[in-house]
Amino acid sequence: MPQDLPPVGGYGPVQYKRNLPAPGFRPATLLLAMGAVMTFGFYKLGQGIREQNELAREKMWSRIHLIPLLQAEEDRDLVRRHLADQAREKELLGENTQVYNSGKYVRPTFAVTPSNVTK
Amino acid sequence: MSARKPVFNQQVLYDTTPLPASIPPVKEIGATSAPLLSASFFIGARCRPYNDDFMQCKTENHGKGEIECLKEGRRVTRCAASVIDDINTHCLDEFRKHWQCLDNNNHQLWQCRKDEWKLSKCVFDNLKLEKTIPDAAKGQPPVHLRTKPIYAHYPILRDRGQPPFGKAIDPPSAQAQADAPSS
Repeated sequence: MPQDLPPVGGYGPVQYKRNLPAPGFRPATLLLAMGAVMTFGFYKLGQGIREQNELAREKMWSRIHLIPLLQAEEDRDLVRRHLADQAREKELLGENTQVYNSGKYVRPTFAVTPSNVTK
Repeated sequence: MSARKPVFNQQVLYDTTPLPASIPPVKEIGATSAPLLSASFFIGARCRPYNDDFMQCKTENHGKGEIECLKEGRRVTRCAASVIDDINTHCLDEFRKHWQCLDNNNHQLWQCRKDEWKLSKCVFDNLKLEKTIPDAAKGQPPVHLRTKPIYAHYPILRDRGQPPFGKAIDPPSAQAQADAPSS
């Protein structure tokens, strides 16, 4: 009985290495690419922030130019109501009571509303 | 609770008593927010001294400024009304286009640059008022003249036959200077 022998020419190669797909770019390349993308992104971010600052400044100055106008109109209305109120008080009570001891103008918390609104 | 200002709500609180005759009357400005925003820098250009006077008066009479500063307030209102009137007589179309654009774009000035440039040019040609933003960053064009606004929804397209924009357009005063020798 012949003994069991290797085939003629020997056995085929045994696959002991793992068969993984190609790993892509080298880590150093990836790091560089990431650095480039991040740098670009931060550059654009910086530009955007600077433009936002300028836009905010523009908006602020437009408001600064308008505030005296709006405030003057509001003040006139308040003074008109204040004087009307004083006159009404004088007519009803005969004198104007000073409520606050500061001499300052105080925005009224309560106001008289007319009993019949003609409007 | 106490932080809330007792604000007069004029829709509910009727008081039609006019100011006493001793206080000279002044016609109120009567413009809504968009025209005011559109004209704000021109108002600032012409009325800065009056505005500063008024605010100084308010600061010096702290707490009584409402009553003490009526005169300065009238000057402020008259000056602003004169600017609005002048813009209305000379640049009505451009003005209307610009403030309607602002109204349609949530009052974002950077969405309406093209209309704004036309208005600025017209206002400078007729009234010699120019929009400048004080304390703007040095070394870069002022933000209202840049041709590539980052935050605008749409890029600024040039008109047919208009030469390509640079990084920014010239302010109206520089444009007028450039035009003057040729004509």
